[in-house]
Amino acid sequence: MQDTVDMADDPDYEEEEPSFSDPEDYEDDVDDEEMLEDILREKPLEADGIDSVVVVDNVPQVGPERLEKLKNVIHKIFSKFGKITTEFYPDADGLTKGYIFLEYAAPTQALEAVKNADGYKLDKQHTFRVNLFTDFDKYMTISDEWETPEKQPFKDFGNMRHWIEDPDCRDHYSVIYESGERTAIFSNDAKEPIVAEERARWTETYVRWSPKGTYLATFHQRGIALWGGEKFKQIQRFSHQGVSLIDFSPCERYAVTFSPLMDTKEDPQAIIIWDILTGQKKRGFHCESSAHWPIFKWSHDGKFFARMTPDTLSIYETPSMGLLDKKSLKITGIKDFSWSPGDNIIAFWVPEDKDIPARVTLMQLPSRLEIRVRNLFNVVDCKLHWQRNGDYLCVKVDRTPKGTQGVVTNFEIFRMREKQVPVDVVEMKEGIIAFAWEPNGSKFAVLHGEPPRISVSFYDVKNNGKIALMSDMNGALTFVDTSDCTMMNIAEHYMASDVEWDPTGRYVVTSVSWWSHKVDNAYWLWTFQGRLLQKNNKDRFCQLLWRPRPTTLLGVEEIKVIKKDLKKYSKIFEQKDRLSQSKASKELVDKRRTMMEEYHSYRETTQQMYQEQKSARLELRGGVDTDELDSNVDDWEEETIEFFINEEIIPIGDL
Amino acid sequence: MKPILLQGHERSITQIKYNREGDLLFSVAKDTVTNVWYSVNGERLGTYNGHTGAVWCVDCDWDTKNVLTGSADNSCRLWDCQTGKQLALFNTNSAVRTCGFDFSGNIIMFSTDKQMGYQCFLNFFDLRDPQQIEDNQPYQTIPCTDHKITSAVWGPLGEFVNAGHENGEINQFSAKSGEILNKAKEHTKHINDMQTSVDLTMFVTASKDNTAKLFDSTSLNHIKTFKTERPVNSAAISPIMDHVVMGGGQEAMEVTTTSTRIGKFEARFFHAAYEEEFGRVKGHFGPINCVAFHPDGKSYSSGGEDGYVRIHHFDPHYFDFELEA
Repeated sequence: MQDTVDMADDPDYEEEEPSFSDPEDYEDDVDDEEMLEDILREKPLEADGIDSVVVVDNVPQVGPERLEKLKNVIHKIFSKFGKITTEFYPDADGLTKGYIFLEYAAPTQALEAVKNADGYKLDKQHTFRVNLFTDFDKYMTISDEWETPEKQPFKDFGNMRHWIEDPDCRDHYSVIYESGERTAIFSNDAKEPIVAEERARWTETYVRWSPKGTYLATFHQRGIALWGGEKFKQIQRFSHQGVSLIDFSPCERYAVTFSPLMDTKEDPQAIIIWDILTGQKKRGFHCESSAHWPIFKWSHDGKFFARMTPDTLSIYETPSMGLLDKKSLKITGIKDFSWSPGDNIIAFWVPEDKDIPARVTLMQLPSRLEIRVRNLFNVVDCKLHWQRNGDYLCVKVDRTPKGTQGVVTNFEIFRMREKQVPVDVVEMKEGIIAFAWEPNGSKFAVLHGEPPRISVSFYDVKNNGKIALMSDMNGALTFVDTSDCTMMNIAEHYMASDVEWDPTGRYVVTSVSWWSHKVDNAYWLWTFQGRLLQKNNKDRFCQLLWRPRPTTLLGVEEIKVIKKDLKKYSKIFEQKDRLSQSKASKELVDKRRTMMEEYHSYRETTQQMYQEQKSARLELRGGVDTDELDSNVDDWEEETIEFFINEEIIPIGDL
Repeated sequence: MKPILLQGHERSITQIKYNREGDLLFSVAKDTVTNVWYSVNGERLGTYNGHTGAVWCVDCDWDTKNVLTGSADNSCRLWDCQTGKQLALFNTNSAVRTCGFDFSGNIIMFSTDKQMGYQCFLNFFDLRDPQQIEDNQPYQTIPCTDHKITSAVWGPLGEFVNAGHENGEINQFSAKSGEILNKAKEHTKHINDMQTSVDLTMFVTASKDNTAKLFDSTSLNHIKTFKTERPVNSAAISPIMDHVVMGGGQEAMEVTTTSTRIGKFEARFFHAAYEEEFGRVKGHFGPINCVAFHPDGKSYSSGGEDGYVRIHHFDPHYFDFELEA
């Protein structure tokens, strides 16, 4: 730039308006970016527009008279995902071509459209295919050279079912102790637990087994780790910051994790569903609170999972992780639902709504057919309890009958395996505390009454009859044989906070957890008959969990054969047991013998030294020999002492 | 066995001790009282009055002439056993935690707590030198800088003192030179009590780490460990059988939140060689703070947080009991 010249200095300066134009050969060297920075930011970029455009295929080809109607329908469907800024319906020969272009206000909206509208069935002949415009570019420029994807090395974790192959059929259980510092896996042997694996700081809070026992999940600040196989190697890792809860699909294909920390509008991260084998994040969900974990309930075969939100039941299918039929079910007032453990049937209940009574509905999936509906009157609350195989559904109904104040409880038993699903009603006279189905049968047990007078009743659904009533359980453990309802044993484990049966039903563990009680932390092992086998003290013991077993591979016929030949097998087992028992006692006896010998030889050496020091002792005590209590009888004094024998009050009579 | 109940204290018992012949039982407690009883029928002979704070420890010399007590009133006092008269007063700067006569009865040791800016010291007085008593000047005083002494016993011939510390360490201090002759670190927590065998060749330690351990008095070799699931407050070795008795429970602060079941606190008997528990005696209403065997091994006593001392005479079948070996 030329130096500015003060015009006033110029003698030739005349009082006329100064020219502010640049001289003719002036070259502007300030570029656009500097001058127009803020305006340039809003310059329309070619790229922007394309990212927000979607192409919809399989649109009905219509003539001009129906075009308006078609546009309305498309608009209605597609404006759900965002603001449509432009639309283009190319046509040829008087009909629309069958594909259209839609532009959204933002690329995210276009993505939403692709995610949700792709595959949308408009009618029988037209299922929309939606793609991003940019995808076409991507697919067209695929290189002609095929690059083989890199081969991932095979991670051999060994035999994942190794523990089931134990010849002595010992089940595993996990123990957390030293207030969470150490976690160990033990093999349950009646004599003494055998350590299978023990690690410090394996988990930061607690552990969970997968439903079939294949994986052990440990919790860490950054996520979950899954361990398994013979050596408990790390199989998989799920990165989920601040994870606090985990759930598995029954088939063990998927894991669901919850973290209260991560949740943004665009990318829901509170609940994440993972594919266990690949470790991939399959889908994320929002979650307001984890009050009723698991939020997602799985069908027994892992094909579906569902969750309840106010007035809605959302059912998703795997492996797509999309909503079944692309929409949730509107069920006004839905309070609770539960999958049958045996079939893809959901049971849910809805409370009273003005004139419509409360009802329990059984819905089959994926057909969504309501196979049974039962109306209930004056309902306060319902709880759904499925029998283990899905043969029966017990609904505990709390009602306030008309004209009364109190709450009465009924059990409505749905017989799932019978035609039309008949329902039996069992009335209960007292308040119910707990309910449980027998694992492999048709019996259930109910705890009722008011503490401390609590009673147990056993019912058999098959015979439709009550079997027995037992009462007065004051904190003791009662072992009951439910085939004939006899009490086998009553025992006690003071301050026990947990009771856990092993997966086979042979053993039960009662434990005192450090989380609830600061002393006496231990777990005790009992036989199913109530005989105490072991007391295992563990410093600051926290939690014991049995490792679940996968379902048996034996068929019904094979089990029948084994039961028939049981006598033959039991002879072999008894012999084995006797051998191991005598081996144990022999081991114990041998151990004791060695310990005694060591101790005695130590005592002998010290006794020798003691004798050698005798003269020193005499000197210290002025010649008095005090080595034995009766060494100096002469010194003893005789004293008479009184003993209190009896107290008797003898009335003297009138004085 | 029906126990004899001694009710002479209003607060928790801190220590009980038999004299060498076993006819007398001394008990001290947090209520400042020092009692002496006939062990055969539980009749109280008398008290030694003078302390103004909780009495932590008591010992009697081999001839049952003198009694030594240490208290939180910053003093260690010497008494005439028969008359109850106070013979000497040793003032200290902090509470006296443990005290004892040596084998000859001529030398006493006591330890003071780490309190109020004062370190923990192990003091030795020779009772034959009246000057030391008058001037309150021990002939030997050993400072313990790090972890204070919580319990201590004399060696077999009065040459050294084995002291247990609040971190589980055991140090053997020479009574003549004050140097550390031996060390052992087997316990992981506070040592609550130490008691010798009747011939002084071994001693047993009771610790907050839920175990009691048996050591050789001279070499400090760790011989046996007895495991429980509660802190062990006191342990004693039977004079005639290969048995060890242990008493424990929780700290007073934690008791209210857990068990208040009557008589829940038990004394446990372990086989000394097999390290296995073989018996329990219930009866105390709170944690047991001190146990002691009668020198003839035919009875034992326990003092508890409930302020009671219980004397138990063994049934004949206790002496016949054998673990299969």
